[in-house]
Amino acid sequence: MQCETVHAQLPDFLSHALTDAESEEIRLHLAGCRTCRNEADGFAETWRKLGSIASPDPDSARMRTRLTAIIDGFEHAIASAPAPGIRGRLAASFTRHSHHHLMRAASACALVAIGIAIGHYMVPLSGGSEKTRPTETSAEIVAMRGELRDLREMITLSLMQQQSASNRLKGVSWSGQIDRPSSEVVAALLDTLMHDPNVNVRLATIDALERFASQDVVRRGTIQAVDRQVSPLVQIALIDFMVKVNERESIGTLRRLSQDPKVNAAVRARAAWGLQQLG
Amino acid sequence: MSRFSGKNAIVTDEALMRAVRGGDVARLGVLFERYHRPLFDFLARMTGDRAAAEDLVQDVFIRVLKYRATFRDEGRFETWIFRIARNARADWFKARRTPDDVLDEGADYASPAIAMDERLTRETEVACLERALLLLRADKRELIVLARYRGMKHEAIAELLGVEPGTVKVRIHRAVNELREIFLRLAESQSCNVKQSTHSFPIF
Repeated sequence: MQCETVHAQLPDFLSHALTDAESEEIRLHLAGCRTCRNEADGFAETWRKLGSIASPDPDSARMRTRLTAIIDGFEHAIASAPAPGIRGRLAASFTRHSHHHLMRAASACALVAIGIAIGHYMVPLSGGSEKTRPTETSAEIVAMRGELRDLREMITLSLMQQQSASNRLKGVSWSGQIDRPSSEVVAALLDTLMHDPNVNVRLATIDALERFASQDVVRRGTIQAVDRQVSPLVQIALIDFMVKVNERESIGTLRRLSQDPKVNAAVRARAAWGLQQLG
Repeated sequence: MSRFSGKNAIVTDEALMRAVRGGDVARLGVLFERYHRPLFDFLARMTGDRAAAEDLVQDVFIRVLKYRATFRDEGRFETWIFRIARNARADWFKARRTPDDVLDEGADYASPAIAMDERLTRETEVACLERALLLLRADKRELIVLARYRGMKHEAIAELLGVEPGTVKVRIHRAVNELREIFLRLAESQSCNVKQSTHSFPIF
């Protein structure tokens, strides 16, 4: 057996993880090789001492409580998210009815987290001093707020990946509940606008993107989307979006649409109107 | 039945995770019971900060929910969740702008940065080794933690790190040798001390 092979086998040898035959082979090598024996002694001593370092003990109860809040919030949010209305009620659903239910769901999440934080504040922590509690509680509240934001993002992104169009609609709607959403959420919305097969989902996404209209990536993405859309409804909604956010970079696209005889007549007319508004 | 109860003892981790992936998120509680201690142990030893380790464990379970759709049927849950934990730890280091490699090879371990001052007291041998472990480069420390404390087989570590099992064996050997060198140099230089009130070590 090569010395290098023996060195590589030492952890298993010391942990008794080798077969009897393999262990015997190593013992034989060590008996005849002083260099490896010294190496093995040093290794074994360090390996053994490492076992003296105690395992850390987590505050399982506190961690369990925090995870419960996360799971409760997640389940509550999924259960509370409304089913989407039919096409004609879609816009209203997302701006009023859905908002109402989703706000309740989000509020429930927040209450769970804040309640736990207050609970920690009111009940003395075992072993903690009076002086340290407010600071710890503040840190916990900050951490829980972060977890809530993560939770909302997670729900949004998860729902937007669902096969069911109604769940994707819920996801798009959820994006409105996220305070300072990450670029991941914005990118997911743009991707939905570009590729979602369902017209209602794409329409809802345009509404959801409105709050991010100051971002260059959103403005560029929506201009690109106008050309790619095949649904006149979505094209018209995008033209309205351009006008609403005063996106002058879209003028070239709108002019092309307004002059292309292959484009739906209603879209051509709306594009011409958009040009007038931006002109 | 509590979502954290042990009535799911005969259910495999993978089956539980598939249930979570399918929408039964309450099953995450059982996975939490099985894994929060090993994850905390790993993260506390890697960060040297138990408060951060608790937050990171929480972060790991949030990520499990967030990325549950990415769990593959043929994958081992332990490998998957520890991969998430490694990523969470890497993000933590980035956020703190702390270099992953705490100490370069060949650095002077008896440097003034870790020299004794009047507030320092002599550590025990175990605490000294613990200090040496935290001074070891993160990738090497990780190998020792996984192999020695998590009891992971070389094959599992190899799958987690994306290398060959033979490579893992050699790297563990080198990591332990380097740890021993650091330990001996700390002991010889008598700099194996901690500040009693302000230093985060020892953590256990």
